[in-house]
Order: sequence, then structure tokens, then C-alpha cells
Amino acid sequence: MTPSSSGGGQRDVMRQRERELLDELGRLDRGDPRRDAAREELITMHLPLVKHLARRYRDRGEPWDDLVQVGTIGLIKAIDGFDASTGAAFSSYATPTILGEIKRHFRDHAWAVHVPRRLQELQSKVMAEADSLTARLGRAPTVREIAESLGVGEDEVLEAIEARQAYAAAPLEAEDAPTSVVATLGAEDPALAEIDDRETLRILLASLPERERTIVTLRFFRGMSQTQIAEEVGVSQMHVSRLLARSLATLREGLAQGAGA
Amino acid sequence: MNDIVTVTFAADTRNVALARTLTAAMAARADLTLDRLEDARLAVDEAVSEVLASAPPGAEVTAAFTPSEGRLTVVVSAATQAPAPPSETSFGWTVLTALADVADASVIDGRLTIHVEVAQETVGA
Repeated sequence: MTPSSSGGGQRDVMRQRERELLDELGRLDRGDPRRDAAREELITMHLPLVKHLARRYRDRGEPWDDLVQVGTIGLIKAIDGFDASTGAAFSSYATPTILGEIKRHFRDHAWAVHVPRRLQELQSKVMAEADSLTARLGRAPTVREIAESLGVGEDEVLEAIEARQAYAAAPLEAEDAPTSVVATLGAEDPALAEIDDRETLRILLASLPERERTIVTLRFFRGMSQTQIAEEVGVSQMHVSRLLARSLATLREGLAQGAGA
Repeated sequence: MNDIVTVTFAADTRNVALARTLTAAMAARADLTLDRLEDARLAVDEAVSEVLASAPPGAEVTAAFTPSEGRLTVVVSAATQAPAPPSETSFGWTVLTALADVADASVIDGRLTIHVEVAQETVGA
């Protein structure tokens, strides 16, 4: 008995199931709910592959959750683009797609990583002032109010806000701090019921880190303001807007892929 | 107050960031609070992305920003290959209407126009 044959039975079962699901995907109509179930099962099944590939890129300054998230988009693309009739193995088809997505993520976002020191300092002053003004006024301040309070120009405040928005310009706080928001938010949300492509959207929402999913839900499906969400979740409003922008980009891209499939 | 700023740029996703930056500056002129300023940015981001999605190759996008006290109006348009404006039940449109006080879209003579307004909420909630 060769070492590789141990556990081979289980692996064969997995492979068999994978084949069934891929066949099903090819056969069923786009609107068929069984198709979404098959897709979801395939995603779950291959998440370890995504994590395995993402691990190669982990020490490069990008949050782990982000790597898994973009890798998952690659996986979804692979699932949608796979042609089962070619007889090729799915994992060898999916691997370059997943890696490609992770590499593209680095290429698209690397530019913003370096923020000049002057701007970093201005940025933290602006953020601190925004927080204290929010506490004092009971609402978010305007750019003018921050500028007046700090004795700098409005253009400088804008520049600081812009830099703050730049991807990965500042380290994110720990992502998984528990929040008081009900756990049912997000993927199973009834507010999704009226939306096109909701099955794809559910999968994409489920692939977001928990806090981002919560923030997206509260802003877009609950109509809470960014300031209210910031209070609820316990982060700054600027951080809320950053996470919103990032999540939206992910969702938009994932949906565009889904629509093109 | 007539403070309109209009820009035209190639229908290329690289230019979305440009529209976003301009939105922040115009929202500041409208004296929006930071959270509404960020909402305006996300809304313009969404509107521009929506317009880009159906623009034919080589198209130009026009974005007109009109700030007034407590309100920013943005009109984004480009030639489109789509016969109709984005579905109101699409995720993009859901996002847009959650962010903006006014959002509407039309396709007239092969041109998609999306009009959004982000206003300062009157309540000090």
C-alpha cells in the first residue's frame, strides 16, 4: 500500500461529488435554485484550496481576510467558467484563476501603500479632530469645520481624507471584534429578497469578513447613517466609509462576474 | 449660487477614482458632513461604474457637479449599449438609492444619464 492511498477512498468520494456538482451546474438553467446550491457547495468545498494559495501571499502587508476574499472571487470565476465536458480536473483549472485574482489585487492596490509622512501626520490630526467634533456636535463635522478647528486649509483636510481612503494606507484594526448587532444580518437577510442576482449576492456577502457584511447590511438594507453604524459597530465613521467602499468594490466585481457567466 | 463643475473623461475604470476625488471636493463646497460626503463618493462611484458598464469602447463620460447649501447634485452620462436604464431591483440601484436622496436614470437617444442628489439630513439624529 503506498502512503498516498491512505484516505484515498474519501478523496474519491469528494472528487465524485465535485464532478456531480459541476455537471449539475452545466446542465441547470441560470434561474434554477438547485444551481445556486451546487455553486455554494462547490465554493465551500474548495475554500481550503483558496486558503492554501492565499497563504503564499500572506506576509505582504495585506489583511488575510482580503486575500481569502479576492481568492474566493477567483474561485467563483473558475466555477462559472469551467467546462466539465473537457474532462480536465477542476482544481488545476481553478488554481491559476485564483492566483490571478490575488495577484491582480496586489497590482491594483500596491500604489496606495506608501503615504508620505507629512500626509500621515495630517491624516491622524484630521481623524482625531473629526472624532472630537463628532462627540461635541452630536453629528459628523463638515470639511470646513475641521479645517477651521485645526487652522488648516479645506484642501488639506480633503487631501487627508483622500489619503485615508486610499487602499491599505493605514493598518486596519482587528476585524473580528464582536458587535452587538444581531447575527442574522447579511447573507440571509430578507431585505435581499427583492434584489436581482440575490443568490450570487448572498454568496458574495457571505464571503465578506463579518464586520464588513454587517456594515454593508446596516447601510444599504437598514438605512442607517455611517455615523450611526460607527457607533453601533464601535469604529470611526471614516473607517466605516472605507470598509463600505472596499466591500462595494468586491461585491460589484463579483456581481459583474456572476452576470457574465 | 451657480458653482457647477463639469468634467469629461474616457470611459475607463481608472477614471472612477478621479470622479471620486472630485466628488469629495464638491461635497465639501456643499458643506456636507463627512458621513454624507462619503455617501456622495460611494454614490458617484456607483453611478460612474453603472455608466461604464454599458458604455461602448471609446466612449466619453461626462460628470456635472452642482453644489448648493447642504446638497450636492451630480449628473453622470455616457453613450450606452443598453436599451434601458439599470433595473431598479439591481444591487447597484439598491445601493444608489440607499446613499442618495434622489436617484434616477434614463436612456435617451442612446445615452444613459444617472442623476443623484445627496443632501444633508435635516434632523440632527
